[in-house]
Amino acid sequence: MGWITGAAPTQAQLDACVTCGLCLPHCPTYRATGDEAASPRGRLTAMAAIADGIAEVDETFAEMMSFCLQCRACETACPSLVPFGRAMEGARAEIAAQLPGRRRSARRWLVGSAIANPTLVGAASFGAAVAQRIGVGRSGAGTIGKVRGLRRLPLRSSSTRGKSWPARGVPRGTVALLSGCVQDPWFAEVHEATISVLRAGGFDVVAPPTQACCGALAAHDGAVAQTRALAAANVAAFDGFEYVVTDAAGCGAHLKEYGHWAEGGDVLAARVVDVTELVAQLLDDGQLPEFGSRGQRVAVQDPCHLRHAQRITVAPRRVVAAAGFDVVDLDPSGRCCGAAGMYTITYPEMSESLGRAKADEIDRSGAAVVASANPGCEMQLRSYADEAVRIVHPIELYAAALQGRD
Amino acid sequence: MSLVDDLVAALGADRVKAHPLELRVYDKDAGVARGPVAAVALPESTAEVVACVKAARTWGVPIVARGAGTGLAGGAVPTEPALIVALTRMNTIHEVDLENRTAWVGPGVINLDLSAHTTPMGFHYAPDPSSQSVCTIGGNVGTNAGGPHCLAEGTTVAHILAVEMVTVDGEIVELGGPAPDPIGLDLRAVVVGSEGTMGLVTRVLVKLTPNAPDVRTLLLAYPTIEGAAETVSQTIAAGIIPAALEIMDRPMVQAVENFVHAGYPTESAAVLLAEVTGHPAAVTAEAGQIERIALQAGTTEVRSAVDAAERDLLWLGRKSAFGAVAQSAPDYYLHDTVVPRTRLVETMTRLYEIADRFEISMLNVFHAGDGNLHPLVAFDGRDEGARERVMEAAEEMVRVSLEVGGSLSGEHGIGLEKRDLMADVFSPIDLDAQARLRDAFDPDGALNPGKILPHGSRCYDFGMQPPLSQEPAL
Ligand SMILES: Cc1cc2nc3c(=O)[nH]c(=O)nc-3n(C[C@H](O)[C@H](O)[C@H](O)COP(=O)(O)OP(=O)(O)OC[C@H]3O[C@@H](n4cnc5c(N)ncnc54)[C@H](O)[C@@H]3O)c2cc1C
Ligand code: SF4
Ligand code: SF4
Repeated sequence: MGWITGAAPTQAQLDACVTCGLCLPHCPTYRATGDEAASPRGRLTAMAAIADGIAEVDETFAEMMSFCLQCRACETACPSLVPFGRAMEGARAEIAAQLPGRRRSARRWLVGSAIANPTLVGAASFGAAVAQRIGVGRSGAGTIGKVRGLRRLPLRSSSTRGKSWPARGVPRGTVALLSGCVQDPWFAEVHEATISVLRAGGFDVVAPPTQACCGALAAHDGAVAQTRALAAANVAAFDGFEYVVTDAAGCGAHLKEYGHWAEGGDVLAARVVDVTELVAQLLDDGQLPEFGSRGQRVAVQDPCHLRHAQRITVAPRRVVAAAGFDVVDLDPSGRCCGAAGMYTITYPEMSESLGRAKADEIDRSGAAVVASANPGCEMQLRSYADEAVRIVHPIELYAAALQGRD
Repeated sequence: MSLVDDLVAALGADRVKAHPLELRVYDKDAGVARGPVAAVALPESTAEVVACVKAARTWGVPIVARGAGTGLAGGAVPTEPALIVALTRMNTIHEVDLENRTAWVGPGVINLDLSAHTTPMGFHYAPDPSSQSVCTIGGNVGTNAGGPHCLAEGTTVAHILAVEMVTVDGEIVELGGPAPDPIGLDLRAVVVGSEGTMGLVTRVLVKLTPNAPDVRTLLLAYPTIEGAAETVSQTIAAGIIPAALEIMDRPMVQAVENFVHAGYPTESAAVLLAEVTGHPAAVTAEAGQIERIALQAGTTEVRSAVDAAERDLLWLGRKSAFGAVAQSAPDYYLHDTVVPRTRLVETMTRLYEIADRFEISMLNVFHAGDGNLHPLVAFDGRDEGARERVMEAAEEMVRVSLEVGGSLSGEHGIGLEKRDLMADVFSPIDLDAQARLRDAFDPDGALNPGKILPHGSRCYDFGMQPPLSQEPAL
């Protein structure tokens, strides 16, 4: 039957792969299984088999695709510049269209012996939380249990949507803030920090009232119509701002791909910046102060959607260092922590194995504070890292330094 | 019952694959050919490999070992419906013996992972194929892999002390031993490079090499490819054996730079990467000498990597070369041949001429130090007649390298791709000897059949008397 939707992976995307295999070791699911079918090259080969009409979109294909974390580490590693993330979104859209109502099959993937304690985490996290709030997710969304790794919920409900904050001093411009679906209620402190730093940097900050959820999870899940509708709403809501700032890497990565999802999306995409990007720029321009080292180590964790999808690695380190901390890297810094949207519920073993590996990396780094620029990663890290380790957004460290707090 | 049932009984359903789509992803390596796959098994221990071999033998299905599938010559691609035994899960570093500078490792250990593991201890595994971040030690043994740094250190065979392997009868044998020069027939060297036709390697005793106290990496740019080749010849004539000498031509440099953004000079006709290692004083002296030679040969830019990060970036560029090609076309065909260093320039000129004549786009990257050429032809396999044109050009290119006194394969192996050219290089008697050696390990041809040796390699295939060993025992 081949592909049936307009969202399918394109021939150009699939042709770009020369099957060299250089992406394999960067892929967490290949690393864990040693299985070509769980590798980027294998997944692209499977997609090409559908495109060539020699295989069908069936349960096996769907399983190969959904086991992918969509971390896009393969994309940064690929010398042939294969747009893997786009191809995978296309494949998921096809699965959603051709196998409606598909649930995760009973089949379990073999995961490496790395798991010290293979008890399953019976809890959901970020992806589930989002699914619950925005109503996407065909897999497991109805069976959400305890949400792990959240911050303590603020007592007041404080949506940023529809509000605005004036610049301190003479304004140099106006930026829009993406409120987000989960960030807004559950990571209110991150928004507060973002807003206060941007105001100090001379920006009026506005959170347009008509904005919607960015639609990243809908896209990852293959919900094409919903993704398009959300993108269109945001293109309208964010029209005319100099910058659209996000403080959640997953949202930023998706906004930057709006060109594929909505008319005028490319115009919006070009103005999207991660807050660390903008603040690093303000630091370079001397618009914000830098604080001397206080001799405390902070490990910077690279969210996949910052490092691989947006190719941003320097900015968060710059921001943490400017706040007066000694930056340490996690090793390997490019490996997914296993949060990956819905993944924590769909593949708990794989997710847990990656979460534990990341916790070990944190342990080895010797840092008591970890800075992560993505809420999903933050929750995952909090679920697995030692309780004594504090997990924060880089901008929070800088905002605190700016206000003379710790 | 069936082969798959037997495999599932031995390994469990998770590690046996039989769905057509799962077989599809195992039907090719990084080269161009595809082959038929009957089933795939992912064993985790030598005992499980034995079980796989026995099951396949019971059902009369040939066996093809597979590592990471980065081979470029189709070594891991079956020629008839076969059981693929993927050894990637046997990736344990069993034992590192620093005193004797050796390590026992599983065949699925990734080349670079081994070096990353031992580097903090002051050692590394020297052979570094450009695919080293992906390919397995088992696959390296299978193809006798070389790499940029094999110029000074030698290829895989010089770094393998012993192998444990499962024979076609399911027997576990250990060949070689800790001594660098074993007594008696050196069977270990027979297995290295045998592309899975002698047995399935399940453990490898590798030699570890001390890390160099100092490293200097030079990037030299040239207005002509001859200048780069000249620098290589003069350097070696001056008695310097650099750790690596690698040349890329302009199209290659452009493709690579597009990916790594390392500041490669994209307007130069050729770039030479030269690396010298050793004690700091010697490194400085040799780097200075290479620089002088390069200036005489007309280099327009000399850059020395300032730190490990810049060096790594430059090497990442070089090592991504094959993959970067696809930016220009979806398929590529990669050659692998060794020509005498003195005839490098002449060979290159003739290769460019062939590429022009067939109107194909050719990019070049090669281990210049040992004359190992890798002309890369980028093409779109769906264009009418493209594949045929590329193959025709390919044969001419190989013949040119043979004419100038070159060999058939530098490091990627013979596999499927060059099997039928073996007869151009070896006499019937040579081929017969090789076929008989292979028969001694695998009389029924159940291990990776159809590889390395062309049909008709045995004397009796030529209508001669069967060799003595084939006569029934009295
Ligand atoms: C980008 C790129 C760069 C490359 N650069 C180089 C280079 O610089 N130098 C070089 O020499 N090669 C190079 N290669 C080719 C390839 O990486 C090597 O041949 C490598 O040794 C293959 O290892 P593998 O694990 O991928 O093995 P595979 O491709 O899976 O198998 C290779 C052969 O070994 C056999 N084999 C695998 N495992 C075993 C085992 N356990 N027991 C017995 N037989 C086994 C297989 O049957 C097959 O015949 C490159 C390839 C790519 C894609
Ligand atoms: S690195 Fe790129 S071209 Fe190579 S196999 Fe992976 S996706 Fe394909
Ligand atoms: S996106 Fe991540 S999990 Fe998916 S194939 Fe690429 S590297 Fe693997």
